[in-house]
Amino acid sequence: MGKSPTTKDDAQALFHSLRSAYSATPTNLKIIDLYVVFAVFIALIQVVYMAVVGSFPFNSFLSGVLSCVGTAVLAVCLRIQVNKENKEFKDLPPEHAFADFVLCNLVLHLVIMNFLG
Amino acid sequence: MLLFAICLRRRLTLQCSKPQQNYSVTPKPPTLEPEVETMANFSIATVFIASFSLLLSLTHSFSIENPTDRRILVLLDDLALKSSHSIFFNSLQARGFELDFKLSDDPKIALQRYGQHLYDGLILFAPATERFGGSLDLAAILDFVDSGKDLIVAADENASDLIRSIAAECGVDFDEDPSAVVIDHGSYAVSETEGDHTLIAADDFIRSDVLLGSAKIEAPVLFKGIGHSLNPSNSLVLKVLSASPSAYSANPKSKLSTPPSLSGSSISLVSVVQARNNARVLFSGSLDLFSNKFFKSPVQKAGSSNKYAKSGNQQFVTELSKWVFHERGHLKAVNVKHHRVGETDEPSIYRINDDLEYLVEIYEWSGSNWEPYVADDVQVQFYMMSPYVLKTMSTDKKGLYHASFKVPDVYGVFQFKVEYQRLGYTSLSLAKQIPVRPFRHNEYERFIPTAFPYYGASFSTMAGFFIFSFVYLHSKVYLQ
Repeated sequence: MGKSPTTKDDAQALFHSLRSAYSATPTNLKIIDLYVVFAVFIALIQVVYMAVVGSFPFNSFLSGVLSCVGTAVLAVCLRIQVNKENKEFKDLPPEHAFADFVLCNLVLHLVIMNFLG
Repeated sequence: MLLFAICLRRRLTLQCSKPQQNYSVTPKPPTLEPEVETMANFSIATVFIASFSLLLSLTHSFSIENPTDRRILVLLDDLALKSSHSIFFNSLQARGFELDFKLSDDPKIALQRYGQHLYDGLILFAPATERFGGSLDLAAILDFVDSGKDLIVAADENASDLIRSIAAECGVDFDEDPSAVVIDHGSYAVSETEGDHTLIAADDFIRSDVLLGSAKIEAPVLFKGIGHSLNPSNSLVLKVLSASPSAYSANPKSKLSTPPSLSGSSISLVSVVQARNNARVLFSGSLDLFSNKFFKSPVQKAGSSNKYAKSGNQQFVTELSKWVFHERGHLKAVNVKHHRVGETDEPSIYRINDDLEYLVEIYEWSGSNWEPYVADDVQVQFYMMSPYVLKTMSTDKKGLYHASFKVPDVYGVFQFKVEYQRLGYTSLSLAKQIPVRPFRHNEYERFIPTAFPYYGASFSTMAGFFIFSFVYLHSKVYLQ
């Protein structure tokens, strides 16, 4: 075909290249990514609910959103520390990273339970 | 009284103290033994209580709370008024008032002595007096009204500047022209003698049962004198008897060169003022309105064929004087109470969304005792900068008014306010402050239904964390 490449072709090409690159990542990182997506999804549900109903027990809303955001942030931190391509954390054993992750999550959930009311 | 008490104690000590022993070097002052001391104290206490209650009973006899015999000072230009207006004065005396007649230039006139008022009411039937005798002057009369006492002032065509200035201070402006009288060619009283139409038959009364009584005044009222006008923005003065639209105020003997300043229904013939301290003042432009001659004469209004054997003057003056001397339309509100529904004692603080009930008793003085006041428009406000709740109170017809409502969802310092101002009645202005607190921490529901999605989200992130860590630790990459 003599047609010049359209934007639709470009987008499709970009999408395909992303998918192929992503499938090369190790499985544990993919699990962490899935966990982050789950947390963000829960946060979005809560924000939509608050927009509909109003912010009456505002502390409960904040507690719910904070739990989602906090788990997402901690999961991202774990991913950074565990990723073998990351030069900065080359010497950090992944067990150390996971133990940090677990302890931080414990603190996070303690705070959430207290603030939930 | 105090000296008597001290002497009593001294006498008791001297009689009952022990005799001094001879061997004491310095004379001891007489000391009281305990039982003598208590007896002395008891007698002093009874003396004090007796004198205090005597003083209290004296002050009560002059107050509005117990006005069973009221003293009225009547100032006259001419003692002949005592007999020419005798029906009016006798009707006042029959209602229990003590009238004290004095000539207006009597040097012994005094309204107050040592700060206490000697009279409860003042009638000024002295229109031509320039100066009063004794200590009475414009300031003293205004002071009298300011202290809550009532006043009746009658003027006529030779009204002096003093009378005009008394009226002006109370908001009633007599016509400035000293020789003007009210003339009405449209509704004058038909009579065989006078032809200049200055004797008017007026029947434009204010519509108020409390001011003029519940019986309708059928016959017109005869009036001969000067007119006055009221400032329409003054809410304290009321026109009780207005002139007809064809009336005007001018000199009957001279030709009318300019249009008269006062004309039509804006001329008031008789007005009343109810001051903010509930003192009542009556201004009449005609002294003859109160005279026996006008009370007894038949009246026929020009242009109408109704002939009345007796004018409405006596009924009008009697009913209006009842109002002026607080025998009608004087309200008092007592026993303000409020409590939560279901309880009886008054709490010092309410919580938002509480159910509460407010009670007040309102009575009206009937001339001899306090009767329950019955109305359906008394309202209570729950007020903080603006009324959050405004409720009409219902009555049990025995003077008790109650309203129950829910405290609004706002916390702060509120007031229970009852503001009751009706034409002819004394104004009631009650305010009682009460704070309202928000919910305490443990007064909310334990689990708020609106927040269930947030509870669910938090627990689901916790579950997600457990599942994730389980999956992550057992994933193939990690176990390798």
